[in-house]
Amino acid sequence: MIRALREVEGGLRLLMNVWLRLPALRRAPVRESFLRQVYFTGVTASTGVVLRASGLGALIIAFTMQVLDADTGLAVKILLWVVLREVGPLAAAMVVILRTGTAMSAELAMMRITGQIDALRRMGIESYDYLVVPRVLGVMLATAALTCYIQFLAVLGGMVLAPFVIQASFTELSTQFFDLVAPVDFLYSILKSLMFGFIVALTCCYHGLNPPAFTLNGVPQAVTRAVTQSAVAVLTINAVFAYLVFGVLFFGLVKAVA
Amino acid sequence: MSAAALRYDLRRDGQTPVVVEVPGGTTQRLRLPDSDAKARLIGALLTTRCAAGEELELFGEPVRGLRRAERARLHERIGIVTQAMGLISNLNAWENISLQAAYHGTQPVARIAKTAHDALAALGTDPARFLARLPDEMDAFERKLVAFVRLLAKEPVLAVIDGLGEGLNREQSARAARFEAEYRARQPEGTLLFVDLAEEGIA
Repeated sequence: MIRALREVEGGLRLLMNVWLRLPALRRAPVRESFLRQVYFTGVTASTGVVLRASGLGALIIAFTMQVLDADTGLAVKILLWVVLREVGPLAAAMVVILRTGTAMSAELAMMRITGQIDALRRMGIESYDYLVVPRVLGVMLATAALTCYIQFLAVLGGMVLAPFVIQASFTELSTQFFDLVAPVDFLYSILKSLMFGFIVALTCCYHGLNPPAFTLNGVPQAVTRAVTQSAVAVLTINAVFAYLVFGVLFFGLVKAVA
Repeated sequence: MSAAALRYDLRRDGQTPVVVEVPGGTTQRLRLPDSDAKARLIGALLTTRCAAGEELELFGEPVRGLRRAERARLHERIGIVTQAMGLISNLNAWENISLQAAYHGTQPVARIAKTAHDALAALGTDPARFLARLPDEMDAFERKLVAFVRLLAKEPVLAVIDGLGEGLNREQSARAARFEAEYRARQPEGTLLFVDLAEEGIA
């Protein structure tokens, strides 16, 4: 319980530090670190999701029509609701947790344990400025970009591959999709993916910078904590955000669109 | 002889006091009696702070009671290569060398690049290939070389090298011995201090 409170307090302090230290991005090494993070999290991860994302879209359409005996309209609605609003941001967040979150927390824990963070401090370099700010912002941006990429591939994959499995043409599916989709769907998923990226990066930075032990054994422990807490945080945010947006604030708007 | 660049006085219970005075503009080889004394001197220089039983003066100025800004100003004039070297493992040699100056914006990157290229070439290393390597891909001498070139890039008035020959073989030690000439060529008025333990100092 005390550890949990301490982690929450540490996370909040980290959050404040990130916010107050945004001007650090003016420094060249911090900018480089930010771009490197965007590249690692967004660009290098994008190749690995092509098949999975396009297969996901096809699977959802085929599954809906075969199992639920739905018409193409309902299948496209489900593609929109499930892929665009929920699965797209969640899938991107999971990719980010598994690839970037693990790497980031291990890297920071290793730096802390081997005295590299002390070395930075001796050079007058603030670890928050150089290590946390570029990672948090880079992961946020990359998660949003990865979400758009996964959504695009899943929708395209669903429309291209589904006609091979079900009785529906690409034109029919795409026409219905563009009739149903609204800017609020993209806004909602981008906002959510930015929050996912933020909480994943913050959690992984916190556990990386505060490993449970200052030995090599502390690294896997820090990674385990970072990954499990990131996943829980992402799922919690997803549930709360879905309720706030579709349940309270924009219910009428979204209902009208749907 | 110019005023002392460094004065250090360490008093410990039941042990012989350690008194160090390094005149400015000279090269000194300091052999301390034990690893505790060495660690405390290096620690005091790294932090520009004195612990209990210690007194440290840099460039004639006692560091005890200094304000943060004054401490930072003093720190800018000192360069230290510690035994741990303090290299960042996910940055290549060039990024390690230029990080501090690029972060603080104290020097143009082109000037650091010239210093690094010239120093590495003078010390018998091909800069083009060497600067792209990560610390994990280097041997002990090469890591020391990166830390030394980073020190040169800082252009310190007082340069301290802790355990220059430690962990190096005979050939590497011979190459490391050229660090002194390289520093002196760039900082003719600077002070260079090699710190070792009395029983295992470098030749």
